[in-house]
Amino acid sequence: MSSPREFFSEFWASKTSKAGMLFLIIVVSFSLYTVATFPLDYGTRYWNNPKYWADNPKLAMPQWTNFFLGNSFLEHKIISMSAPQKMYPSGAYYVKSYEASFDLNADQFPTFLTLKLESVSFFSSKAPAIVLLVTRPDNRTIELSRITVEPPLFTEEPPYVRYVDEPRRVLVSGDPRLSITLSDFLLNAYNLSLEPGQVADIGYEKVIFGELCESTFKPLKGRYLFTVLLYARDARDQIGKATIVIGGQVYGFMGTDILGRDLAQGLLFGFPVALLIGFATSVLSTLIGAVLGIVSGYVGGRLDDVIQRICDIMNNMPQLPLLIFLVFIFGNKLWIIVAVLVIFGWPSLAIVVRSMVLQAKSSSFIEAAISLGAPKWWIMVRHIFPQVAPFILAQMIFFTPAAILSEAALSFLGLGDPSIPTWGQILEQGFHSGAVFLGHWWWVLPPGLLIVFSAVTFVLIALGLEPVVNPRLRRWR
Amino acid sequence: MALLEVRGLKLYYKTVRGPIKAVDDVDFSVEKGETLGLVGESGCGKSSVAISIIRLLPRNVEVYEGRIFFDGIDLMQLSEEDFRRKIRWKRISMVFQGAMNSLNPVLKVGFQVAEPLVVHQNMDKEEAVRRAKELFKLVGLPPDFVERYPHELSGGMKQRVVIAMALALNPEMVILDEPTSALDVSIQAQIMNLLKSLKRELGLSMIFITHDIALASDICDKIGVMYAGQIVELSSIENVLLSPKHPYTQKLIASVPLLRGDRVPEFIPGAPPDLVDPPPGCRFHPRCPHSDGMRCVKDVPPMVGVEGDHFVRCWLYSGGLK
Amino acid sequence: MTDLLLELQEIKTYFYVRKGLFKTMTIKAVDGASISIKKGETVAVVGESGSGKTTLGKTALKLVTPISGKIIFEGKDVTNLHEKDLKWFRRKAQMIFQDPFTSLNPYMTVRQIIEEPLIIHGFDEKEREERVFKALEDVRLHPPQDFVKKYPHMLSGGQRQRVGIARCLVLEPTFIVADEPVSMIDASSRAEILFLMRSLQKKYGMGIMYITHDIATAKFFSDKIAIMYAGKIVEIGETQKVLKNPLHPYTATLIEAVPDPDPKNRFNIRKVVPGEPPNPINPPPGCRFHPRCEFKVQGLCDVEEPPEVAFEKGHFVKCWLHTEKARKSA
Repeated sequence: MSSPREFFSEFWASKTSKAGMLFLIIVVSFSLYTVATFPLDYGTRYWNNPKYWADNPKLAMPQWTNFFLGNSFLEHKIISMSAPQKMYPSGAYYVKSYEASFDLNADQFPTFLTLKLESVSFFSSKAPAIVLLVTRPDNRTIELSRITVEPPLFTEEPPYVRYVDEPRRVLVSGDPRLSITLSDFLLNAYNLSLEPGQVADIGYEKVIFGELCESTFKPLKGRYLFTVLLYARDARDQIGKATIVIGGQVYGFMGTDILGRDLAQGLLFGFPVALLIGFATSVLSTLIGAVLGIVSGYVGGRLDDVIQRICDIMNNMPQLPLLIFLVFIFGNKLWIIVAVLVIFGWPSLAIVVRSMVLQAKSSSFIEAAISLGAPKWWIMVRHIFPQVAPFILAQMIFFTPAAILSEAALSFLGLGDPSIPTWGQILEQGFHSGAVFLGHWWWVLPPGLLIVFSAVTFVLIALGLEPVVNPRLRRWR
Repeated sequence: MALLEVRGLKLYYKTVRGPIKAVDDVDFSVEKGETLGLVGESGCGKSSVAISIIRLLPRNVEVYEGRIFFDGIDLMQLSEEDFRRKIRWKRISMVFQGAMNSLNPVLKVGFQVAEPLVVHQNMDKEEAVRRAKELFKLVGLPPDFVERYPHELSGGMKQRVVIAMALALNPEMVILDEPTSALDVSIQAQIMNLLKSLKRELGLSMIFITHDIALASDICDKIGVMYAGQIVELSSIENVLLSPKHPYTQKLIASVPLLRGDRVPEFIPGAPPDLVDPPPGCRFHPRCPHSDGMRCVKDVPPMVGVEGDHFVRCWLYSGGLK
Repeated sequence: MTDLLLELQEIKTYFYVRKGLFKTMTIKAVDGASISIKKGETVAVVGESGSGKTTLGKTALKLVTPISGKIIFEGKDVTNLHEKDLKWFRRKAQMIFQDPFTSLNPYMTVRQIIEEPLIIHGFDEKEREERVFKALEDVRLHPPQDFVKKYPHMLSGGQRQRVGIARCLVLEPTFIVADEPVSMIDASSRAEILFLMRSLQKKYGMGIMYITHDIATAKFFSDKIAIMYAGKIVEIGETQKVLKNPLHPYTATLIEAVPDPDPKNRFNIRKVVPGEPPNPINPPPGCRFHPRCEFKVQGLCDVEEPPEVAFEKGHFVKCWLHTEKARKSA
C-alpha cells in the first residue's frame, strides 16, 4: 500500500465503511467503559454470587417496557431507611420508628415483599423486637411481620451487633403467619371471611396491596406508608439500615434473569469479552493459516506435503471430544477455549490459501519476478500475499463472529468458562430456563441481537476494506 | 431486398460507472449469399452487434433498440419465444468466439451437434446421429468422429465441430465471431478454406467478425469498419481496401505488416476510447491526423454515401472540410 | 566471437508429466535446437503452438532447465550454475511477456513495478528514482509523474506492455527475450511497440530474441529468423533471405497461410498443408514434418532426421531436399 493517507481516504469513501466504523466505535466504547468500571473478577465475585442479586426481582422486564406499554408494570422498588423518624417511649420499651413511603401507580401487584435488616445493634441483654407495619392508602394498617433479634450469647459483650456481614432478609410474603393476619384483615375491611389457607392461595401481595372489587382483588393505587418499629430496651439500640424491597415486574435497563441478575451488567460485560475472544481467535488462526498456506503453496515439495498432512489430520479430528478432554485436564478457562478454536481454525484457511497460491503462482507476473532475480521470500511477500490478502482479511473478519458463536456453542454444552458472563452464556442460560417458551424475550433477544450486531459490524468493515486491498475495485479518479 | 437489414441498432450495457455504449446507431445490410465483414479492434462493439442480432443478451442491458429486418420480418418485434422457435439457430445461427473451448467436455461431440436437431426439430436419436455424420462430412471431419469427446480433438477439429453445430438446422445466415483467432496460422488457413467452400456450396450468407482486416479480405465481399461502437466505413471489400476513405480505415490497413510487399507498417498512437464516456463529436478525433479541432470535436458526423455505395462517417466527406 | 551475446547449443528441454501412479510422459518441448544472437541483433523465433519457441525462450533465460545442451552467455557457460550464482545473469538477461493483463502485479503501482528489480538488486533510492523516470521516458509514457501513480487496470493494453518493457530496461540488460510481446495488443498499436523496441535496441545495443507466431511482424522487426517446428529449428537465416526464398516446405506453408489484405483473396482457395502439428510426446520418426509434407521422400524423410545444411552464408536448413540438392551439386 502506497500511503496510509490513501488507505484512509479510500476506505472512508464508502458508506459501508462509515457504518461499520460507527458500529465498531460503539462496540469498542462499551468495551472500554466496561473494562474501566467493572472489576476484572466481576464474574466470580458478582455475577455468579446469588447473594449479590438477592434484592432483585426475578425475571423482571426492562424498565422501559413500561413506557411502551403504558406504565402498567410495577417498577421494582428498593427503599432504605437509616435514621428513625420518631422515637418515643412505650411502656418498658423505647420505640424507634423508621418510615418510608411508596406510591403504587401500576396495574400490577408487587411480586414479593422483603424486609432487609443490616447492622442492628443493641445494648441490653434482652434483644429487641422489630415490627413491620404498612398503612394503606385507605388508611388501614396491617402488621406484616414481627421479628425477634437473636439474643446475645455468653461470649458476647455489649454492644451486641447483628446482621453486619450478612443482612437478615425476611421474605414477608413468604411468612405463613401472615395468612392469619390477612384473614382477620379481610374480615374487618371487607367483611370477607376466608380461611388462612385460602388467603395463601390468593397471594399475600394481592391482599396487602389490593382492594376488593366485586369478587376480585384490584391493585389499590396510592401512597403506602411502611413503618419499621424497633422495640428496644435501651435508647441506644438502633437499626443500621432497614430496607424494604417491593418486587416489581420491571427492573433496570435490560431486566433480570431467573436469578435476579441485572442483565444490563451481564450484557455490558459481554462486550469486551466478545471482542477479545473474537479478535484473538480470528487473528491468531488467520495468521497461522495464511502463513502456512502461502509457504505450503509456493515452496511446495516436502514442506508442502507435511503441512497438508497436518491439515488433513486436524480436519478429521473431532473438535469436541478433544476440547472436553483438554477442559478435563486444564479446567474450563477462557484461554483454553481460545487456544482450541485457533488450533482447529487454521487448517481450513491454510488449505484454501494454498490453492489460491497455486493458482497465483502460474501468473506471468510471478514469472516476471523470478526472471528479475527475486528471491523466494520476496515473491511470497510482495506478489503472492497481496493476491490472497483480500480473502484472508475477509476470512479474518468473518471468523470473528464465528468465534463468538463457537464460544457460545461451547458454553451451551457446559464447556464454557462459567466465571465470565458472555453473551453466549446468557443466551444458553435463558434457553435452558425455557425463556423462549415462557416468553421472557428480554433474556434471550438482547444477547442474540448483540451477537448479530457484532457480526454485522465486522462484515461492514470487511466490505469497506475491500476496495483498499483490491485496487481493481477502486473508483477511478 | 436484402436478407438482413439493420437500422439504428443500439445496445448499451448497464455498469456501475454508467452505461457502456457498445453499439451506438449502427446501420448495415447483408444480401443473400453475401459475406459481410465487421472489422474493428478491442472494444469497438463488433461482438455486441452479433449478440444483438441473435438476441443472446446479458442481463445488464440498458438500451436495446433499432430495427433488424430479416427476410422482411422485424426481429425486434418478435417475442422471446417466437424468436427462439422461428429464428435462432433455424434461420440465423452463430459461431461464438472461443466456442471450441466451450464444448461440453463430458458429452460426445456428435451428441452436441445433434442436440439442436432433437430440440428444434424433434428428430429421433438415430435420424439425428445420421444427420450429425452428414454435417461432419460437410465440415471435413471423418463421420465416425461423432463418437469422440472434445479433449480427443485438436483445436482445428473442435472448430469444425462448432461450425457443424451452427449448420445443423440449415440456417440461411451464420454469424462467426473471430472463428480462427485461437488457431495456429496453418489451421486458420484450413478453416478459411472450409468457410469459402461452404459459402459456395450452401449459398450461405455470413457475418464475419474479426480484428484482422487481412483475414477479412480472405472471405468477405463487403466490409464494415467499426470504431467505438459505430460503423465508420461501409462498402465492398474492393472499395475499402483499395480506396479507404475514413482516416481510421486508412491507418488500420497501413498497420498490417505485409508479407508480400515492402511497405513498412504504421501505427495509430493512443488507444480506443472508453465506451462509458466516449469523446464528444467524432469518436476518432483524438487520434485522427485530419481532425479540424472544431466540428470534429463537437458534432458526430453522419454516415454519408460517397461515390454510390461507399459509406463513410467522417466530416471530411460531409461537406466543407476538404 | 566477442560480440556473440548468447549461444544455445543443441538445447533439449523436456517436461515430465505424471499420469497415474506409474506412468510418466515426456513432453519433448525443445528437442535439439541451436541458435546464437549477437549484440544489437534481433533474432525472430517463429512457430506455431507446440513448436517449442516459448520454451526455447525460457530456457535461454534459465527459467526452465534443459536436460542437455549448453547455454553460453557473454562467453560464460551458465547451463549448470545455481540460482545463487546467477544474480549477475538475471541483471543482464530479461524477459518481456505476452499478456499485458497478467504480467503486471495488479496490486502494485507503475512505480513499484518498475522499481522492483532495482530494489532486488540493491540500488539506492536516488538511483532508483532516476532510473524509473528514465525508463518511462524511454518507453514514451508521458508525463512520467502521472504514470508512476497509476495501477495496471487504469492503463490500456499497449500502455501496460510499455510498462513491462520499462521494467525490463531499468537494469540495463544486454539480452532480452520478448515472448509474443504484441499478440494481445490491437493490430493498429503493434507497430508502435515493435518500433519502440527496435529504437531502444539501437540506443542501448541489446540483443533481442523475438518469439512470435506472426511471421509478418518478424519480417519487419528482425535481422535473423529461425523457424521452429515440433521442437526443432528447421530453417534459420537472414530474415529477408528466408522470406524471399524459403527453403523448408514448412516455411513456405507458413508464408502461404498468411493473407495480405487483398480483395482477390476470397476467390482463391489458399494452398494449405493438411493435418496438424504433431504431438510433442510422440513425434513422428525421421523428419517431423514428413506426414504433412508434399515433397516427402519415402524411405528417407520418414526414417531419418535430416542434418543441418548450409545453403548460403548464414542460411541453414534441415531438410533432405536440400541435402540431396547439395549432394547433387557437390
